[in-house]
Amino acid sequence: MGRCAVKPRQGRPSRRNLLAGVAGSAAAIGGAVAIAQTRQATPANTEPTSAGGIVPATGATQAGIDRPATPQLFGLVMIYDLAAPDDLAFLATLGRDIATLVEDPPADLLPDGAVGLTVTVGLGPRMVSHRRPDLPGAESLPPFAGDETIAPDARGGDLLVMACAEDPTVLAPVVDRLLAAVPGVRVRWGQRCFRGAPPSGSGTIIRNPLGFHDNVQIPHTDEELAANVWLEAPLAGGTLCVVRRLRVDLDGFRGLPTSRREEVIGRRLDGTPLSGGLPFDPVDITAKAANGELLIPAHAHVRAAHPSFTASHLMLRRGYAYDNGDGDSGLMFICFQRDLRTYVLTQQRLDSLDELMTYVSPTGSASFLILPGHHDDRPLGAELL
Amino acid sequence: MARRNRETPWAAVVIPVVTALLVVIVASACAPDTRTGQSLVRVPQDAPSISRALELVAQHGLVLVDPGIYPEAVTVTVPDVTIRGTDRNGVVIDGEGLRQSGIVVTAPGVTVENLTVRNHNFYGVLVTGMPGGGGGHDVPYSKPAPDMPLLQRFRVDHVTAINNGLYGIYSFHAQHGVIEDSYASGSADSGIYVGQCRDCDIVVRGNLAERNAVGFENANASDSVYVVGNRWSGNRVGMTLISSYQEDLRPQRANLVVGNLITDNTSAESPVQADGGFGIGIGISGGQDNQVERNRITGNRLVGILLNNAEDLPATGNSLLGNSFDGNGVDVADTSQARAAGSRNCVDPAAGLDVRPAGMAARACPTSASPAAGIDRADLPALPVPPGVDFLQVPEPPTQPDSTNARSTEPTGVLPATVGSPDVAAIPVPSKDLLAQWAGVR
Repeated sequence: MGRCAVKPRQGRPSRRNLLAGVAGSAAAIGGAVAIAQTRQATPANTEPTSAGGIVPATGATQAGIDRPATPQLFGLVMIYDLAAPDDLAFLATLGRDIATLVEDPPADLLPDGAVGLTVTVGLGPRMVSHRRPDLPGAESLPPFAGDETIAPDARGGDLLVMACAEDPTVLAPVVDRLLAAVPGVRVRWGQRCFRGAPPSGSGTIIRNPLGFHDNVQIPHTDEELAANVWLEAPLAGGTLCVVRRLRVDLDGFRGLPTSRREEVIGRRLDGTPLSGGLPFDPVDITAKAANGELLIPAHAHVRAAHPSFTASHLMLRRGYAYDNGDGDSGLMFICFQRDLRTYVLTQQRLDSLDELMTYVSPTGSASFLILPGHHDDRPLGAELL
Repeated sequence: MARRNRETPWAAVVIPVVTALLVVIVASACAPDTRTGQSLVRVPQDAPSISRALELVAQHGLVLVDPGIYPEAVTVTVPDVTIRGTDRNGVVIDGEGLRQSGIVVTAPGVTVENLTVRNHNFYGVLVTGMPGGGGGHDVPYSKPAPDMPLLQRFRVDHVTAINNGLYGIYSFHAQHGVIEDSYASGSADSGIYVGQCRDCDIVVRGNLAERNAVGFENANASDSVYVVGNRWSGNRVGMTLISSYQEDLRPQRANLVVGNLITDNTSAESPVQADGGFGIGIGISGGQDNQVERNRITGNRLVGILLNNAEDLPATGNSLLGNSFDGNGVDVADTSQARAAGSRNCVDPAAGLDVRPAGMAARACPTSASPAAGIDRADLPALPVPPGVDFLQVPEPPTQPDSTNARSTEPTGVLPATVGSPDVAAIPVPSKDLLAQWAGVR
């Protein structure tokens, strides 16, 4: 309930939404105030992401999740199988190697410096459950709608290595060098990906391949990240990551009239919720016209994905676009949250309700325990040894 | 790619928004027992407005209101008072399409009776233990159950609540109450709503709700909720029992719904149900262990009773026995998804009854669970949904009957600590014309 809000009537987006001003207004006080605080709060990480910048690799959490605050333009997501699920000794070495690469970039690999490089490491359910079946991350994703069409090699995996930087040319060499030291490793699947620059110059909000803004409602502050993203002891500073490669029928979606595309998403092209307000304001899922019609349509993506319907945590989405040619392009959906339930219930709801899903086909799917951060006194993976 | 199976349209019924009230309610420190005041305050003779009268009245006192249009938002913070109109149809609290609520009760033991509340953008009458909000659907974060105590004891009697945007008569986070012999129409959510309580001890009896998106709605109100002898006819959806993650105290369970007339919920003279619900008698979304018995359920052109999961909360253990069905699109259907399939639901078999899947038909509900996914929703009849009517434009009802207390200058007195169950066993299937003389839709 606290979402009560009284937007002034003249603020209504259209003549017909009398009720919205009131019902809809519900969002305003709670919602608007909350978001205002979010925007004014100091981001948890303010490290620069400009080319040449160093994003600290060590700390309580791994880099590449909430830092840099503006995600890098390029990514390489690599997923591997490991020969021996009981051998995690390589992790400590891998962590040290990552830190060394970032802090003291070797000229042969990173001639222009660190270029915002982050390398994030996660373990698949088989690895976690082998060691500690009681821990978060030991559980696999259930199948979702369309998952039966995913090639077996593009499901799951034991080891996630996600490298991101402002320069796409460094990513594969960096990952190759890091993985050379990991024994018994075999590539399972992977994807190069990219994202546009934020329209505002910094921050998480970008346009995705659908042409709409993405990552609008995500946790930012330390409090929000603690409540929604980071695990607690014994994995404090870790999190759970879901990776879904989603081929999107972009021609089909773009073929819709603009107003229909906005109805499918629930926001206008400029980011304004169909419930009214300013670009990037929170959507007001309760807003109605006087005749009872929802201003955010019943099958709109932002309604289907809204965490209130499942009492879910707020996902930290940090996705990319991909394009493999021959029409195989779409979204590399990447999210972080403190429980798998948040993703599972939300995706099941999307499968039931979200009109956008009619344009989406999954072609890859996996979940990982993102290990807590590492530093000199706490090697990567120490919590599982 | 084909569009995937959609959840039933009423499943995500939009939830109340109590907090609007924070604008109105300044958490007035409730008057203590030592409050002094008048035992009877007449409006307009002793006070020009109901709000002013509430400043003058003593605890346990009576505010007695003469006919007139009262353009005010009334907040009741005095325990155990009665607000009574002398003429139900002539005493009108009018929101004029501008104000949010007519009467908001935040004090225990309050009676509201024999008056009309109309033209509010949110609620006609709201009784709440959570003024100022703080409940579970305060998105985007999930929240623990509130530790605020439930409001205790209330009575809404012979109230006409019309053309109120969200709910006509609405109790939330409250228990030990009665809503009876009242009328509600023109709500874009539901005419009457009871939400978020356990051991609710709430009786909803003898009411008439029509020309609403939903006649009566219960979200997360469990255990002792008795819905008896009401007319939930001529809405888009007659009534719903739903579990909702947007509020606390889920799942919804263990209501008694007996002796109600639930017919012809195919009204075009109403706002739309937000998710497109139309032609549905009773919707049970994630509701559990409810007894829905001896109701007359007819002419609901999509389905008489519709069971469905609410996200991962299954509809289980609902006893649908002794009801009289006729002229529904399908009499009883379970469209639960496999991920939260229903179990232990039952309908007693009768000649000609259309139950899908047919396995639900049994003379008693099975005691052990064997979850089975429901039918595909696409297998229900395809009904065109008429456009919605502006909630302020929904037709007014015929003149409604006065309470026998209408002229009394005696306050109601202290409401009992508990209400208790009506004699449910004595309630038969109602006649086809239950409360018809007061209905605008017949």
